[in-house]
Amino acid sequence: MMRLNIGTIGNVVVRYRLLVMLAAVAVFGGWTLDDFLTLTTLQSILDRAAVVGFLALGLTPILIAGQIDLSIGSIMSLAAYATIALQPDLGNVPAAFIGLGVGILAGVVNALAVVVFKVTSLVATLATLLIGASLALLISNGQPASSADPLFGLFLTDNFLAILTPRSVLFIGAALLMFVWLKGTPSGRNLYAVGSSMPAAISAGINVNGYIAGVFVLSGFCAGAAGVIQALSSATGSPIAGSVLLIPAITAVVIGGTRLEGGRGSSLATLGGVVALGALTTLSEYNGVPSYTQAVYTGLILILLITLDRIAGGDEGKTTRTLRSAAVAKQTQQGGTS
Amino acid sequence: MSLVKSDPNPGPAPAGTLTAGSVLSVLSIPLAIVALMVLGSFVSPSFLTARNLVNILNAYSAVGLAAIGSTFVAVCGGLADLSIPANVAMGALVALGAQTLVGPVAAALLGILVASLGGLVNGVLIGYVRINPIIVTLGSGFLLLGLSQLLVGGGIVYSEPSAFGSFVAGNLLGVPVAVWTFFVVALILHIVLSRTPFGRWNFAVGGNYEASAASAVPVRFTRAAAFVLTGLLSGMCGVLIALSIGQARPIIGAGYEFVAISAVVLGGTSLFGGRGSILRTVGGVIILALISNLIVLIGLPTPSTGLATGTIILLVVAVDAYLRRRTGAE
Repeated sequence: MMRLNIGTIGNVVVRYRLLVMLAAVAVFGGWTLDDFLTLTTLQSILDRAAVVGFLALGLTPILIAGQIDLSIGSIMSLAAYATIALQPDLGNVPAAFIGLGVGILAGVVNALAVVVFKVTSLVATLATLLIGASLALLISNGQPASSADPLFGLFLTDNFLAILTPRSVLFIGAALLMFVWLKGTPSGRNLYAVGSSMPAAISAGINVNGYIAGVFVLSGFCAGAAGVIQALSSATGSPIAGSVLLIPAITAVVIGGTRLEGGRGSSLATLGGVVALGALTTLSEYNGVPSYTQAVYTGLILILLITLDRIAGGDEGKTTRTLRSAAVAKQTQQGGTS
Repeated sequence: MSLVKSDPNPGPAPAGTLTAGSVLSVLSIPLAIVALMVLGSFVSPSFLTARNLVNILNAYSAVGLAAIGSTFVAVCGGLADLSIPANVAMGALVALGAQTLVGPVAAALLGILVASLGGLVNGVLIGYVRINPIIVTLGSGFLLLGLSQLLVGGGIVYSEPSAFGSFVAGNLLGVPVAVWTFFVVALILHIVLSRTPFGRWNFAVGGNYEASAASAVPVRFTRAAAFVLTGLLSGMCGVLIALSIGQARPIIGAGYEFVAISAVVLGGTSLFGGRGSILRTVGGVIILALISNLIVLIGLPTPSTGLATGTIILLVVAVDAYLRRRTGAE
């Protein structure tokens, strides 16, 4: 008979953390609130997941490639402000495209810093985080822009098929598209090779620099999309719109199971992580928990999960595959002796 | 991620070797300071007055303490501590909030202790569990800042009038106590970094982690200690500011992590470990203080400082990366 010890329970919780989190939220929500387990709640969770979801989606290929992008929040702020502030001059739709363009441009800057000037992505995007945030405050004078046409973007949060809204459809569609790219195409599979072992990827003839530049531009584009969607649906272009969303986005990706060490991850897992974190946020708001508390538990979840991942993952420098096979071998060994 | 293993030249910084490059890098900080002062005297007649210069230093002394801690973090290959604003806030809020309970002096010490505990959490996770420092301190900073906001409910804590409070906020021999604190701490920790075994461990760990571990350097302890020290100094920074302005709120240290990082890289300490010095960081702090004062005197809006700081970090690190590649190729 199998004996359950704390270690195995811990392993199971870490491995199936998405389901554990969702189940815990559902049970606690159903227990504390009468009308929590409804389709309306699900719709609200998915709807609000869209903005942080685009940030997290952009971050997923970045982490798979073994990089990090800390500037996504600042890029989102710039894009959000541009989307609204340029409406009077350019019209609603062109301004939204400029917002996306701002995201792509910022991604190109990051890509140049990392690939051409060889600045580690951590430091490069830390600097562009500060530059982007300061730029947004400078351009806007610290004041949010209000849309002259507030009804234009409202459709993004309309009801769609009972549990969806147009912006959650966009997010889920983007996650599915990214899943097909990452898992179903040669270029997606090459990205995992880049993140698993860069020297091996180089000797396999993969254009490593091209892939790394590409994921930064994609991440900038996704952050731009998050900014455009957030700005249009709230009819406000805030120069600090994205500043508090970096940590929730990273946390959502990590909850999904994508590893900071590179070489592993999936956009569907990110979708799950975003929904799980969104469910937790919605639950706390329904229960009247102040937003500071959300910062505390988001930070706690992030630190706890990366610590557990690290302990489960073992030492630096080994590839995840060898570690995984080592872990499997160890488990079967233990299973045989106990 | 192999961020810290690229240095082909492990061990202490090659301070004794005299090359054209090293002479230039020794002189570059004083030259930059002089150039900024000349520029400032053209911009405004009030720039080169003793009062303005003391004010400039006073404004950057507290954050300078965090920059000193960040130098240890950078030298030992720990990149940077992004939880500085959170530990500054914790130190400041506890130092003022606990005044009525334990008295002003004990409250200040308690604030520093609480901030050091924040540093300890970072240190354990980075040094012993070996998680990426940026992610750890980003997460712990987010958590601790949330906690500090929870403590005060987003409000402000005011200082009780006390002899200790007015001493910290006042002058000693015509120079603000904050400036004294900065220079005394800088001098002590300069000696620690350049003359003690602990200092040498930092260089060794940052220069070549594996080789240091093999030579019985306490690699985990060293890296953890650098983060505890930064937490402690961030707490001191918070206490100094809170007592100087007589109030504290959670955003009291917002942006200080970037000021600290740019002071470190401006001084020529590599963010990738293995070389650096406290005196150079002091130079970096002075340069930043002058730049920010110039921005105010010219009349540019405040966020320009952030723009300048971010650009400086990017440029200096790009040059550092280029120079490392070149020496690595030789």
